[in-house]
Amino acid sequence: MDPIDDALATADRAWRQHGVQRADREALAADLRLDLESAAADGVAPERLLGEDVSTFARRLADEAGVRREPPELGRLIGTTLTGAALGAAVGYAFFVLFFQVAARTFDMPRGTHVPVQVAVAVFYGIPAVIVVVGAVTAVRYHLRALPRIRATVHAMCLLLPLAGIVITPITMGFAALTGFSTWAPVVLTEMLLVLAALAGATVLARRWALREQAGMRQTSTA
Amino acid sequence: MIATDPGDAERQTQLLRGALDMCLLALLAREPAHGYELVRRVEAAGFDGVGYGTVYPLLTRMRRLGLVADELQASPAGPPRKVYALTAAGRARLGSWQQQWARFVGVVDAMLSDTVTESPRS
Repeated sequence: MDPIDDALATADRAWRQHGVQRADREALAADLRLDLESAAADGVAPERLLGEDVSTFARRLADEAGVRREPPELGRLIGTTLTGAALGAAVGYAFFVLFFQVAARTFDMPRGTHVPVQVAVAVFYGIPAVIVVVGAVTAVRYHLRALPRIRATVHAMCLLLPLAGIVITPITMGFAALTGFSTWAPVVLTEMLLVLAALAGATVLARRWALREQAGMRQTSTA
Repeated sequence: MIATDPGDAERQTQLLRGALDMCLLALLAREPAHGYELVRRVEAAGFDGVGYGTVYPLLTRMRRLGLVADELQASPAGPPRKVYALTAAGRARLGSWQQQWARFVGVVDAMLSDTVTESPRS
């Protein structure tokens, strides 16, 4: 890889982590490229110019350039989502057990009554799933309320988390079927990881979507 | 280089922190330059510990503040270069900073010249 491209790629990664939006990253990179190419024409390599710590240089450059930063805070966001989802799952499980017992005691269903499988699935899996999503979204909305664009992030999560659930459920069920619905700990753990990964992925996408939307609005207003 | 031992170098870095932007404006007032060229001029002036990693972000801040402006210029050898020059606002700011600096140095000089080096008390 060309040393200038290499240095700019490192700087771009640092800018992304620093929360610098795409338009600003491109502008910073274009300016820096011109300067690095000028120095290279004089026989000075980028590594000599920028030193070993290109990331620190890039962050400082972004700060001095006064670009607006919106750190994605993905670590905190994913942690809060999964914690909220776990609490929601616990509540959902409690609901599942309680509802089943109360329903069995209260309603004496006549023999021969046929309950459509869709209704059964919607009640026994759909309602707990909704509680899981509500738990995740509520946790993010209140615990991370100080984050910029958190409302837009939550709105996107309301759409993407259920979609992730719809996608990952048959995959997880397929995996469970392949393993003979085993309750062996590594199998169950893998199933849990699949679901958690889907929730985390949907959360990351929601955040990126919310921040990209903001950057797009800003570009439109400055055009 | 002005500083010689590590302690001096650290102290010089601290002193320079408050004056480097003014020095860069002064260098650009003499002649516009591109980023790397400006680093060479700073070195030639005697501050060879000041690297590109310090100068370029500072130059970017001064451009944001409207003290310098950049312009692409064709180069006889190599790619076009982004050359930085002082703006009218930059020239005015340099003037006021120079006055402030002269007053500051005057006060420090006066204090130093009044100092009598005494032997430490036992």
